[in-house]
Amino acid sequence: MLHTLPVINKSWMPRFAFAPHNVAPRGDTLVVIFLRGAADVLNMVVPHGEDAYYALRPTLGVPHPDESGTKKDERAIDLDGFFGFHPSMSALLDAWTSQQLAIIHACGAPDESRSHFKAMELMERGVDDERGPASGWIGRHLATLNTGNSSPLRAVGMGTRPQRSLSGSVPVSALRSIADFHLGGDQRALQQMRAALNVVYEDDVLGQDTLSIMDTLEQLDPATYQSPFATYPETEFGLALKQTAMLIKAEVGLEVSAIDVGGWDTHFAQGSVTGLMPSLMKDLADGMAAFHADMQQHMKNLTVVTMSEFGRRASENGSLGTDHGHGSMMMVMGGNVDGGKVHGEWPGLQDGQMIGPGDLAVTTDYRDVLSEVLQKRLNNPATDQIFPNYTPIIRNLLR
Amino acid sequence: MISRRDFLKLSALATASAALSSCAPIYRRIAGDLPAVPWTPLDASDFLALNRLTFGPRVEERARFAEIGLQAFIEEQFDYEAIDDFDCDILLRPFKTLSMDAHEIEGVTNQLFDGYDRERPIRELRQATLLRQIYSKRQLYEVMVEFWSDHFNIFIEKEPLFYLKTVDDREVIRKHALGNFRDLVWASAHSPAMLVYLDNHVNEKSHPNENYARELMELHTLSVNGGYTQSDVMELARCLTGWTVKKHFWLGEFTFDNDLHDEGAKNVLGLAIQPNGAALSESKGQSEAEQVIERLVTHPSTAHFIATKLTRRFIADEPPQAIVEKAAQTFLNTNGDIKSVLRVILLDGLPLAQPKYKRPANFIASALRLTNAHTEGALGDYFIRMGQPYFGMPTPDGYPDVSAPWESNLMPRWQFAFELMRNEIDGTKNNLKHLLDVAHLHLRQVQVSTGILQDDVDSLTSLLLGAPLERFERDGLIASVHSADAAPEETLQILAAGILASPAFQWR
Repeated sequence: MLHTLPVINKSWMPRFAFAPHNVAPRGDTLVVIFLRGAADVLNMVVPHGEDAYYALRPTLGVPHPDESGTKKDERAIDLDGFFGFHPSMSALLDAWTSQQLAIIHACGAPDESRSHFKAMELMERGVDDERGPASGWIGRHLATLNTGNSSPLRAVGMGTRPQRSLSGSVPVSALRSIADFHLGGDQRALQQMRAALNVVYEDDVLGQDTLSIMDTLEQLDPATYQSPFATYPETEFGLALKQTAMLIKAEVGLEVSAIDVGGWDTHFAQGSVTGLMPSLMKDLADGMAAFHADMQQHMKNLTVVTMSEFGRRASENGSLGTDHGHGSMMMVMGGNVDGGKVHGEWPGLQDGQMIGPGDLAVTTDYRDVLSEVLQKRLNNPATDQIFPNYTPIIRNLLR
Repeated sequence: MISRRDFLKLSALATASAALSSCAPIYRRIAGDLPAVPWTPLDASDFLALNRLTFGPRVEERARFAEIGLQAFIEEQFDYEAIDDFDCDILLRPFKTLSMDAHEIEGVTNQLFDGYDRERPIRELRQATLLRQIYSKRQLYEVMVEFWSDHFNIFIEKEPLFYLKTVDDREVIRKHALGNFRDLVWASAHSPAMLVYLDNHVNEKSHPNENYARELMELHTLSVNGGYTQSDVMELARCLTGWTVKKHFWLGEFTFDNDLHDEGAKNVLGLAIQPNGAALSESKGQSEAEQVIERLVTHPSTAHFIATKLTRRFIADEPPQAIVEKAAQTFLNTNGDIKSVLRVILLDGLPLAQPKYKRPANFIASALRLTNAHTEGALGDYFIRMGQPYFGMPTPDGYPDVSAPWESNLMPRWQFAFELMRNEIDGTKNNLKHLLDVAHLHLRQVQVSTGILQDDVDSLTSLLLGAPLERFERDGLIASVHSADAAPEETLQILAAGILASPAFQWR
């Protein structure tokens, strides 16, 4: 209805029904956290056992765990004798010690453009260059696995626009706040409006989805949600994780939740132990820790992945920040993770070990990590379609 | 002169009471309300073309277009300074920060005894932007202002851009929006807001920062595959050392600080830049990056990139390559004359135009334009929930200009349509009866409603969607909202809201 206007070309309308070959029960709920802007992973999981790190970062370096001249809560928190968490990520120690959190360092994509936009585009599409398919890697996961789940909340992008990684033939939903889906006002007028919307969106998949989300979410309110186990940070990220938890507990068919955390492009005054970047890390760690605690009963069926488009230069720049680099780091959290370990080969930060203008090399392709999650935890063997022209190496990060 | 507050009081009264009809001429004059004049329905392709040239075509624009045709309409819009925009200027008068220098704006946000309001310049710039998109008669110019605001995106919420972006908007974007691309890049590169946004103000000899240098090539000129290397980025960053912003008394003004400039030899894109040397003047240091800018703005990659983006904006998400190539050639032939490039894209391209999903700002502006609403422009929360507050994109690539990212966030659009037509938005008022008078003049040539709901819906859809619905669609819509205890006026509000919320109104 309202589509058959002369102005409107029918060709933009249909999203074709799609019947993938693989049929399997749904696996874990996947939560993908994207750190936008190229997170400075060398200050998140600090290679404190590497002298070159401190030489390259005389002001930004995070003090060694044994640095006696510094207060204990201003030093790196040792994880394995070589790497340590930034002190503002201490909330993640519970997940780490319960072996439900794994780190893959020197991890990333082959692209060396050092362009945020190109790197994010390629990574979210899961391709090597522009010639690959235009859909996103999560979109292709949804399209290649029939779980018998037609919920409009099967895949949700937290925010006002769905992430690039979600695009594809399966409709996905963008959700900033559950509360936004409560139409307010005069009851009779609302009923009339809902009836009108139902007619004008009669043959529009997204419109019908939005109407059913409206109905589903009518009973949920993040403002009154209480978890006996956790307090989420009062931030956009905290809200996104809290709502992910609410949707999982409400059993509305959520299979993938994609969450963005922005602000990581720290060229200027990023801060060492305190400041801009540490407050981002604290938000990230506190949020993930709250989710981990809140969802303890569900951890067996949950996998959380963090990623960023690339890393930052090993040496600090003159503005007390860091410029675009290469190798990054991923974290995987869940009940089936080989956790409490830093995985991946460490390439080192000395001359000759780094690439380009002095950047951490990549020794684990991000697609190895995601392929293992897809195959082992999401019951989807079709990683050759999700990451075309790439043969993943399974790194045994998961059971 | 009446203040904005007086005006709002006045317009509320004027809307509320016919007894104040003596105020009506002033009210109409300053509020942009339209006299109900007969207007011409356009065919589908002309309606689509006008939807690209404006933020939603009002009836007088449809009438003008029908009278003089596409080519003359474009030329008339190109000559924007000749278009009287008094009505819009009046509405902008209360926004004093629009014409201030950076240090003045910083001053008014920092008066300890007179209220400390650092949101004011941001709020005024955002409101002014919406009011211009709705009420300015220089529609194509405003469309281009929006385009360049995306291309040279600046995130106004980054410190301390709240007092710098207003100046960039005025002196860079608005000054050159229909001028020459070289002048735009030149002005942007010397714009304190841009230098601060992309960290060049701290790009110094001893501590180079390559952020702006990279985006100048990647996003503003050559594009990511335009033929530069990481080494070019670093060398251009060295050329740009010392390009910074004054502090204290001259707060917020561009300056070149030779003491911070790297005087060594450089090579950018094959252009050798010789060492400065102490004997040479300071301006020599500044001229290094300026030489590179001159090269960037005439580079074939830049011509192709700008032609592609403009064609994407005006014609289709997947720009037709023949149009792009012709536009790029025109760009090179005319040394980046924006009107010449646009002329090619619009005249050759519009017949090939494909539907584009309205971005949130375009949806809001077009709903307010086509319903002849009166607004003071304070609609920030709707923009946020739809995902496109003005100058609110944190990353320098600007808001996406293709349909897909915007298509699934329907809920806030529905709420806006619902609340707009039911007059539930503070500071925004809409007169459905007047709207119907305008709409009826087209189909029935009468100035009052026939009182028949079918006629009202036909007229509304002709006005808002460009053509009436098929009869079965119209009757289905009317049947759906039938409610025995709703007043006819309320039912009409819901019908209008349903049309604004419909898929057809989301596309342009």
